[in-house]
Amino acid sequence: MDTNSDAVSPAAAAWHDASPARDDDVRWMSLSDEERSIAGDLREIVRDELWRYRGLAYELTRRDIRVRYKQTALGFAWAILMPTMVVLAGAAVRYAMAYIGGRPLSAQDLAGIAIKAVPWSFFVGSMGFAASSLVGQANLVTKIYFPREVLPLAATFAQALDACVGTAVLLLAFALLDVHIGYAALWAPVLALLLLLLTAGLTLLVSCANLFFRDVKYVVQVFLMFGIFFTPVFFEPQMFGALGARLMMLNPISPIVEGLRLSVVLNHNLLNTLVVPGHHGAAVLAWSPWYLLYGAAWALITCLGGLLIFHRAESKFAEYV
Amino acid sequence: MAEGLIEFQHVWKKFRRGEFHDSLRDTIPALASRIFRRTDRSALEGREFWAVQDVSFSVRPGEALGIIGPNGAGKSTILKLLTRILRPTHGRCGIRGRVGALIEIAAGFHQDLTGAENIFLQGSIMGMTRREIAARFDDIVAFSELSEFIDTPVKRYSSGMNARLGFAIAAHMSPDVLIVDEVLAVGDWRFQRKAFQRIEDILHGGRPVVVVSHQLDRIAALCTHCLLLDRGRVVKRGHPDECISEYIAAGVRGQEDHMTPPFRVNALEIAPKDPLRSGDHLTVTLKGEVPERAGANDRLGIRVRSLQNAHVIFMIDLTAHEPALREPGTFEITIDLQMNTGRGYFSIESAMWNNQERRELGKGPQAVACVGVAPFHGGTNLHPRVRVVTRPAPETRELWPA
Repeated sequence: MDTNSDAVSPAAAAWHDASPARDDDVRWMSLSDEERSIAGDLREIVRDELWRYRGLAYELTRRDIRVRYKQTALGFAWAILMPTMVVLAGAAVRYAMAYIGGRPLSAQDLAGIAIKAVPWSFFVGSMGFAASSLVGQANLVTKIYFPREVLPLAATFAQALDACVGTAVLLLAFALLDVHIGYAALWAPVLALLLLLLTAGLTLLVSCANLFFRDVKYVVQVFLMFGIFFTPVFFEPQMFGALGARLMMLNPISPIVEGLRLSVVLNHNLLNTLVVPGHHGAAVLAWSPWYLLYGAAWALITCLGGLLIFHRAESKFAEYV
Repeated sequence: MAEGLIEFQHVWKKFRRGEFHDSLRDTIPALASRIFRRTDRSALEGREFWAVQDVSFSVRPGEALGIIGPNGAGKSTILKLLTRILRPTHGRCGIRGRVGALIEIAAGFHQDLTGAENIFLQGSIMGMTRREIAARFDDIVAFSELSEFIDTPVKRYSSGMNARLGFAIAAHMSPDVLIVDEVLAVGDWRFQRKAFQRIEDILHGGRPVVVVSHQLDRIAALCTHCLLLDRGRVVKRGHPDECISEYIAAGVRGQEDHMTPPFRVNALEIAPKDPLRSGDHLTVTLKGEVPERAGANDRLGIRVRSLQNAHVIFMIDLTAHEPALREPGTFEITIDLQMNTGRGYFSIESAMWNNQERRELGKGPQAVACVGVAPFHGGTNLHPRVRVVTRPAPETRELWPA
């Protein structure tokens, strides 16, 4: 076959020779790594993708929520099923511990488990749904352009709505249990934001990794199943002694859930250090303001890193999925 | 917002055959080499191949570019590069303005949601804002003709209803540039005409358009320019008629024929080159040579084929009319055709065949030309002769032809 692309007809010559337009409005696609910078990428993610497609994120979140409650017997009770189970499991574990320790289980202990059950359920639910959000919607990924970030983010936002329902039920239960909520509870929205950032970053990373390697989803499932034993949800860190408490707080979610318990249930200002007596007499550091900074650093770095890594891998999604 | 624009500058795209990595034993060295060694992207390794090679074009407002070529030519890859689903390996492609893609128009539908909910979902996936969708919601429902079923989950829709809803959403997004794949055949016959009309309206809105189709008559009808691709390369660029002719004839060239055909057609010219009206005359000139004396059953002729359905609507055996054509030497044949066809696009092809063995000689037409026919008073010129007799005033008149 004649592969001479210079075979231009007179009619098309003018069209072909026309100088290419130079215009900053044109959104170029190329693979030139030299032009990339972290600041440029972030500007692209925030301005050209997330902001421009905020309506899509909203619609996809709505879709995820609607689909979850369509043709279901339980309806919105689904939203509190998981936290309720976590609270019941925690109550069972703590009852056994209290029985062995010979100390009664207080309402405050139960409230402490309940306030950590909601964020934990949110985290587990988000990771579970987000891990398959790209692969499960491969038909969208390979066929229509839109910033793929919105798929895992929408799964996370849908879980956030469930968490809001759970929080409302929780507040009602606190009123019934007569748990006093003080000013320190104003830390709760800050901690919730940190949890949202951390979860969003991790869901971006996991959904992206699962697209390239399908076993990521199973690894995540295993981590989520056993993660509750390495996160202070049923327990409080000081139960593990001085060193154990510090190790337990290394888990990026620990400062967030512990902060919630201390600020809401115990009305402890998170800018102050809290030292409690341990079971064997020695004092144990239960909270330090550095924990807050540690949790915030994890949340911010994970979120930014997740966005950047996802963004750079995004162009390969359609080929690899 | 500035006017829409589509630009492709020396775009290359590399793909791999088979699985990306067969096992961990493959994966780890591959990842290691990617991290530690800057691999040269212009080199092909192992099972890699170029799906698109050095393709450049630009489409400005008022222009419509048709892309044609055999399967595997790279048309779908170019569409995916245009719609930002894929990124080029080399070169760059860019679009100014909002892209409207009539591709996969129902891909975002969720089966459990109702038609109305899916309008908002699919619309926002295509890049419309919620306010825009709400403003056009009634138009979309009216266009899809699904108002009774708009609160029914999409999983209860028939495939035709699905496609109608998808098309209606895509057709109402007022893009700055438009990219059309062969989704034009949606719904029933009446809806197809409506959809085609809608696409023509959008095209005449002056936006830059790219159309990919195997339906050559639609390319000829819709496009101002055309690219012919083969194995990722631009083989020809120019007017749609020329590219379509080249495409039809291309099957022959480059392939070694196992036998030398008895006739060699060097040129097939048509006059006038402009679109005709049904009933107009077309002059076809065939030039060529006969290297050796052709056999008694070898025939040379021309065929006229409709590009809409590839059916031959007319053929003529020239050797039957002029046996001297079999003698060695050169020939120049002029054929006057009256194109009493309906509207459409037609290819005029040289043909040779063996009458006794009933088989084609050669692998396809050696020369092709394309002609467009516009309707005559809304259709085919049936050459009416009208005679009117009026009473009580007795008068007889020939009305037509005047």
